[in-house]
Amino acid sequence: MPAQLSPAPERVVQLGDARHGKLAGNLGAFCRMLRRAGVPIDASRIALAQQALNWVGVAQKDDASAALEAVLVAREQDRAVFRELFDAFFRDPKLANKLLAQMLPRADGHARAPKRRPRVAEALSPPKAQSAPAKEDAIDLDAAMTASQVARLKTADFNQLTASEYMLVERLVRDIPLPLPTVAARRTHGGTRGARIHWRRTFGSAAQCGGDVMALHRLERRRAPLPLLVLVDVSGSMERYARLLLAFLHCATARTQAGGRGLAVRRDVFAFGSHLTDLNAAFRLADTDAMLLAAGQAIDDFAGGTRLGASLAQLRERHARRLVGRRTLVLLVSDGLDTGEPEPLTKELAWLKRHTRTLLWLNPLLRFGGYEPIARGAAELHKAADGMVAVHNVTKLHELAGAIARLLKT
Amino acid sequence: MPTTSPCECNTIDELTAGLRQQGYFADRRLATAVFLALKLQRPLLLEGEPGVGKTELAKALAQVLWRQLIRLQCFDGLEQREALYEWNYAAQLLHLRAAEGQVPSSELEQEVYQPRYLVRRPLLQALETPAPGALLLIDEVDRADEPFEAFLLEYLGEYQVSIPELGTVRASVPPVTLLTSNRTRELNGAVKRRCLYHWLDYPDREHELAIVRALVPEAPARLTEQVAAFVQQLRSAPFDGNFQRAPGIAETVEWARALVALDTLALDPEVVQDTAGILFKQRDDVAALNQALAAEVLQVAAQGGGAN
Repeated sequence: MPAQLSPAPERVVQLGDARHGKLAGNLGAFCRMLRRAGVPIDASRIALAQQALNWVGVAQKDDASAALEAVLVAREQDRAVFRELFDAFFRDPKLANKLLAQMLPRADGHARAPKRRPRVAEALSPPKAQSAPAKEDAIDLDAAMTASQVARLKTADFNQLTASEYMLVERLVRDIPLPLPTVAARRTHGGTRGARIHWRRTFGSAAQCGGDVMALHRLERRRAPLPLLVLVDVSGSMERYARLLLAFLHCATARTQAGGRGLAVRRDVFAFGSHLTDLNAAFRLADTDAMLLAAGQAIDDFAGGTRLGASLAQLRERHARRLVGRRTLVLLVSDGLDTGEPEPLTKELAWLKRHTRTLLWLNPLLRFGGYEPIARGAAELHKAADGMVAVHNVTKLHELAGAIARLLKT
Repeated sequence: MPTTSPCECNTIDELTAGLRQQGYFADRRLATAVFLALKLQRPLLLEGEPGVGKTELAKALAQVLWRQLIRLQCFDGLEQREALYEWNYAAQLLHLRAAEGQVPSSELEQEVYQPRYLVRRPLLQALETPAPGALLLIDEVDRADEPFEAFLLEYLGEYQVSIPELGTVRASVPPVTLLTSNRTRELNGAVKRRCLYHWLDYPDREHELAIVRALVPEAPARLTEQVAAFVQQLRSAPFDGNFQRAPGIAETVEWARALVALDTLALDPEVVQDTAGILFKQRDDVAALNQALAAEVLQVAAQGGGAN
């Protein structure tokens, strides 16, 4: 729109055609670089950025930066990347390339042939008797071995599912639907009951009968499932359970359970050990194997101690907005063997309790009968939780799933 | 503070000056974003913590541009009929009754769906406002649920609304559109793609000082400086860890007003503790700001003021 450029003509003229042309090229390169750094930018944005620069001019670097930021960035978390890259690029594009190389993870995974998933591998190999697992050769130096063992502990238990585990999880999800409780949402749809009249539909049907209102159609409130927040303990004592539970919860909450016309479940998942890990990105993956892989990479305190109090404090400080309007249903999966300070735990649990609708404690370690929450952490959890499920045997995961379902129903 | 003529806003400086005249102190980056939104005729999505002046910007901008401010406050369950348009069904039924037998049915339909039976909601109002046009504020869009955002797309992209019975309503003057969000959830990519984006941060010390001076002119200069420095410290490390939510500009201004009402000449820990309920709106936060902490913050704030 050259006609509209007239208010700031001196800047455009001052630049001259040749340099103007160069600017377009530079801008394109800058946008591509941003894209490689993970900022989503499409071609129309680049064109818009060009227009924005026409208006603001490039005489002042700060203005140009602000203009490009307004156009190219659409998320708060991208701002820092943008500013760093902008500074680097418009001083020295080569430096920016180096910076980018540092920021980006090594992407050599694509080059290799895709590794066979354990699920596929197990399905391909003939069934065999359970042989002793191959011993890790422990001929390393002491120090080296400790390190490698720690590393193994950190990642080993988030292997992908074997075929039998996969079938177990599939069966559980099929057999035991998690009846997530629903509430009447603010959003409405046409129906036969409800307080408000669906005028549009009523009028439509009246028009068919020559203007006589034969039936009053009504606006019914839709049912929406409660937002769900899952906190999974990944400490040492939980390591055997955490993986399968994550897989189960991933499958069980993936689909909308609130009937055909319900709204989708809002689901937030965190793992905690010595600190809190956001697993939402992993849980967005549709494939359970991919989810476990991503979760395994995200969790860096696997099989460390449990510091529930500190983890909850982190949740409060950084992710409090996940708790939607005190409607959230919180599933806390933990054995309650807390190694942190008891006092913050009491405080944080009280806070969590205040901001949620229901707090359910899923305790996969302890027995049903005669169980007394003796450990301090467990006692606090027991006090705060609205309900508790305890199952003592991990192979009976279906009992746990069933118990969760029963608890949710009440 | 009505100005004599609408601001032309041909440069960023002009826009900044215009906003300042209305008592809104925009930093350079924000002014650039607003300037571009005006010139490129794109909606501007403002995100930021509560109380950093997102809604105030819309009010001030409406004054600067001499545009009518139309506000759509979003809430959970907001529907198309509350945001865009609705038919006046009762009047339509009456019309149908009255026309019975007199008008052939083929014309009846046309008569029933006339613009006069259309109830205009904010989006449609904004489109139909005659020159100089409207300023539409879609406030706290994150409070509406995700399906609602789809209703906005046509408006945000093309400044038009399609009404199946009437056709498409296009804007004669494209409304200046601001969306605000507190980021209680991430907005849909489709909405963001149609908007420019600006993240409103807490202002720096100088800016905040200017704001408090402008809005609470009756406060003594020393107190104003202390207030600005104190709040700055509350928002930054190491003190921000003590609170769940840092006070926004709105709180700072409120606090300065309260201190003036209490005839305070200078801050001391006791007065800070007594008025903590204005800075913080959560019980835990209010309790956290005890006299010991207040004294510590005051000391650091005083030093910071000297160093700068």
